[in-house]
Amino acid sequence: MNTDYTGLAEFHWLIEVMQTVDVGVLVLDLEYQITAWNGFMENNSGIDSADALGRSLFDVFDDLSVEWFKHKADTVIQLRNRAFTTWEQRAYVFKFRNNRPITGVTEYMYQNCTFIPVIGTTGKVQNLAVIVYDVTDIATSKLELKAANDRLAQLSRTDGLTQLYNRAYWEEMLSNEFKRQKRHAHDLSLIMFDIDHFKKVNDTYGHQVGDDVIRAVAEEVRHNSRNTDIAGRYGGEEFALLLIDSDAENALLFAERLRKAIENRRVSTPEGELQVTVSLGVAPWKESFHHYNAWIEAADKALYTSKDEGRNRSTLSK
Amino acid sequence: MTVPLLVVDDSSFARKQVIRALPKGWDVEVSQASNGEQALELIKAGKGDVVLLDLTMPVMDGFAVLEEIKARDLPAVVIVISGDIQPEAEARVMKLGALAFIKKPLDSEQLHQVLSDFGILSV
Amino acid sequence: MSTDVLDEELRDCFQELSNVAVGRAADLLARLLNNFVIMPIPVVNLLERAELSMALSAIADASSVSAVCQGFTGSKIAGEALLIFNDASFQDMAELTQFKGEITEQIELELLMDIANILIGACLKGLAEQIDVSFSQGQPYLLGQHINIEELLNRNGSTWQRLLTIELPYKLEGREVNCDLLLLFTEDSLAILRNKMSYLLE
Repeated sequence: MNTDYTGLAEFHWLIEVMQTVDVGVLVLDLEYQITAWNGFMENNSGIDSADALGRSLFDVFDDLSVEWFKHKADTVIQLRNRAFTTWEQRAYVFKFRNNRPITGVTEYMYQNCTFIPVIGTTGKVQNLAVIVYDVTDIATSKLELKAANDRLAQLSRTDGLTQLYNRAYWEEMLSNEFKRQKRHAHDLSLIMFDIDHFKKVNDTYGHQVGDDVIRAVAEEVRHNSRNTDIAGRYGGEEFALLLIDSDAENALLFAERLRKAIENRRVSTPEGELQVTVSLGVAPWKESFHHYNAWIEAADKALYTSKDEGRNRSTLSK
Repeated sequence: MTVPLLVVDDSSFARKQVIRALPKGWDVEVSQASNGEQALELIKAGKGDVVLLDLTMPVMDGFAVLEEIKARDLPAVVIVISGDIQPEAEARVMKLGALAFIKKPLDSEQLHQVLSDFGILSV
Repeated sequence: MSTDVLDEELRDCFQELSNVAVGRAADLLARLLNNFVIMPIPVVNLLERAELSMALSAIADASSVSAVCQGFTGSKIAGEALLIFNDASFQDMAELTQFKGEITEQIELELLMDIANILIGACLKGLAEQIDVSFSQGQPYLLGQHINIEELLNRNGSTWQRLLTIELPYKLEGREVNCDLLLLFTEDSLAILRNKMSYLLE
């Protein structure tokens, strides 16, 4: 009598704990019908246990992917092995609105879940328990941190004035492409170019206008190159461009198009419109380059030839 | 008659477990090998009329030992005692001529049963 | 009892227990994928802190691997499992799980977690049962995704000097699937494990 009562009391508080614990507890039978549904599930889904018990899980959550869930559940049941899902893999399994007016920053609750095979008295798996953890706080702070890091990474590789890649990052990209080229050669060409008589622009019109000129040239680079091309500001008035899938002929055509575009561009100054020109050196990839520096040198050499021959022109490296 | 019995496993702990699990009073002369190559040497030297063989071993694994025994028609009766419990592993060793497949961790009663089922104890 | 060295007898015993545990995990994986799993030979070692750092940095450097970490604890034994999965394996994994369509990053994560759940879960269970304990597993973490491995190493404030490691390189027969499972046990666990083993060794 006494032991019965103790047993009952124990059962009562066990249920009470399961009801109030701050994780979701959901138990299913092998037909995916809900056999247990605790307070966390009630409160977050807005569905009372009276309305949930005995119903198919997929009726209660009509946006739950049946195929995905069954694959997880079947593996757990057949292999009698726990399975874990993380918010990184799937933001949530059960779509619960995140209803916090002040601290809520996401629309839905991020969840980690544990799938547990429940072995019955027969020694066979008779139920599947799913434990649902609310990890919204962790997930959002990780995501924010990642966004901030991405932003920092982007800042650290961008040239402030032109929004092209800065020299350090551009060289890193060149180095990567160079290594790839050594393994697997594609058509690839390098263009180095600079603004003719830039010092005179600065001396005559001041640095403000000098900056405007550099920005205008960068804009033409952006307009005329493709997304895959890798463009950077190499030095003060020097630019570098890596053209993916471009042989010598294509690269020279591109250089000429860019040269003309810049020649036709007008930069407004307090003293009227200003025209600038650029000199370019084009160096297609060669097997004989042992370091990417040799490639830059080849393009630079061609650039000097352009300068020597009167500027505002493109030269193909020999 | 004393039976030349060979226990093959890369783990000495596992070999000890197997030897400890042998039926009491069974008249055997036990030899041990820690890989397939040693095992074949000993079988050729007449030390392994009955072989209790592990599968996963360095140098030469249990599958290769069974292949050699089959190819050279060596006079050895092989019972596999394996941690690799994939049904495919069992199917492969049976096809290669093993007498029986016992899963690790070794249950001594199961070993006794197999030994008596195949009449090895009474030899 | 010194924990400085792993004597041969104990190492051998660990290796055999791991072998049995690994066999169970391989069996489950083979059933899930319907493909024969080549059983790895477990490598048992005591790893110095610096060596683990080196191993993890190597993972961080290789952009072509994914990793999952999962802590476990029970009966005063604790540690972490680390599954390192070669990204080249995803294509074959997708085929084996009958997945059709493009392999997005999302799908890769699903595949990775499926494998991690099975290999880590079954290995731990197999080991635990043999030494008559049971482990509870924490939530798994994806390394490299939102957690930078180098940062993790730097901020790791624990004071352990060496770990017991069990290394399990899994392969699928006829497939380009490669993954390494590392079970790491804390220094404190070593004495307890030694104790549990001693009665297996008599």
